[in-house]
Amino acid sequence: MSSKNGASNKKSEGEVIVITSGKGGVGKTTTTASLGAALALRGKRVLVVDGDIGLRNLDVILGLENRIVFNLVDVAKGVCKANQAIIKSKKSNNLFLLPASQTDDKDVVNEEEIRNVLEQFKREYHFILVDSPAGIEQGFRNACAAADRALIVTTPEIPAVRDADRVIGLLSARGVEAQLIVNRIDYNLVKKGDMLSVKDVQEILGIELVGVIEKDENVIIAANCGEPVVYNQKSRAGNAFSDIAARLCGESLPINSDVEESFWDRLTRRLGVG
Amino acid sequence: MFAALREKLFGSKNGLSENGQGRSRALARSRLQFVLVQDRTGLTPEEMTQFKKEMVSVIERYFRIDEKGFDISYKREGDTSTLLINSPVIVRRKEDKSESSHSEKGDKKESKNSAEQAA
Repeated sequence: MSSKNGASNKKSEGEVIVITSGKGGVGKTTTTASLGAALALRGKRVLVVDGDIGLRNLDVILGLENRIVFNLVDVAKGVCKANQAIIKSKKSNNLFLLPASQTDDKDVVNEEEIRNVLEQFKREYHFILVDSPAGIEQGFRNACAAADRALIVTTPEIPAVRDADRVIGLLSARGVEAQLIVNRIDYNLVKKGDMLSVKDVQEILGIELVGVIEKDENVIIAANCGEPVVYNQKSRAGNAFSDIAARLCGESLPINSDVEESFWDRLTRRLGVG
Repeated sequence: MFAALREKLFGSKNGLSENGQGRSRALARSRLQFVLVQDRTGLTPEEMTQFKKEMVSVIERYFRIDEKGFDISYKREGDTSTLLINSPVIVRRKEDKSESSHSEKGDKKESKNSAEQAA
């Protein structure tokens, strides 16, 4: 493999992080793309891997859908070399994509094959982010196969939190440490008493919170354009992803989760209404 | 006084609108906790009800409890899981060192039992 132009503060071993959730549609792919781009902006060499074999989408979110030649399954099966399948981002020299196959089935590859593919990248990249498919079957197990740690994405809704809880249990049984990202929070709804708060979700799941993403239409716009939302510096979601990237690099930024409880909130809660 | 104020402001006795607006967060939290106890323990709702009943009857042999406030939850922190049984106990007369109050409300007694997570 070719790459040697690593950033100056390159570690000897990169870290494999799986982004997973259990439930579909909570923002795993957006999170993977955004964190990948944000880490790359910080000068890290990043490989994002689409683990959703058969239903790939990370390529689209990154605007790279028309450049795919080979994919993860091809690499795992030895059809091609890894560097033939990896695509460089249009926006960054530090961000790379290993796409999923769109035609294969999730169980054409096994955990060991995926582990073998991903392990070899640890010397070349600071971060290898694996976008997990929804569910807890083979595709999920493959995506977690090489993971050093996991980011659990959830939204403040019962099904999403419930599925996240299940996944956290499965990861814990594998000895993989998990951290939490609460996505699409709407503080106004929380205030009105009509949405689970970040604190609710975090307390119930009982794992460390690593970031909170507010509901933000810029995420949809960014996806339409195929450019991760972190490039939009006015976007609250984009900035929140950048903050998570900083935390992944070891910075200890405060997390501005729930807005302070107002007097009225406290009052209504005490009255048993909230 | 608060109740009156609340009634005035919300226009209904319990402060809730018909369709659950303004309280769905609390409802979501308790429904979530309910399904998670099942998911985490692997007990069916019937088994859970049975377990609750038996726990109540055991505790009742020694304490007077307020069954309405009786609650079982299952918490996970890191690698350990904890079964939390929250049982409001109505303070018994002969317990002389109950420094809190003599009211019928009683203290909350929490018994913690470490339990291995159902694999």
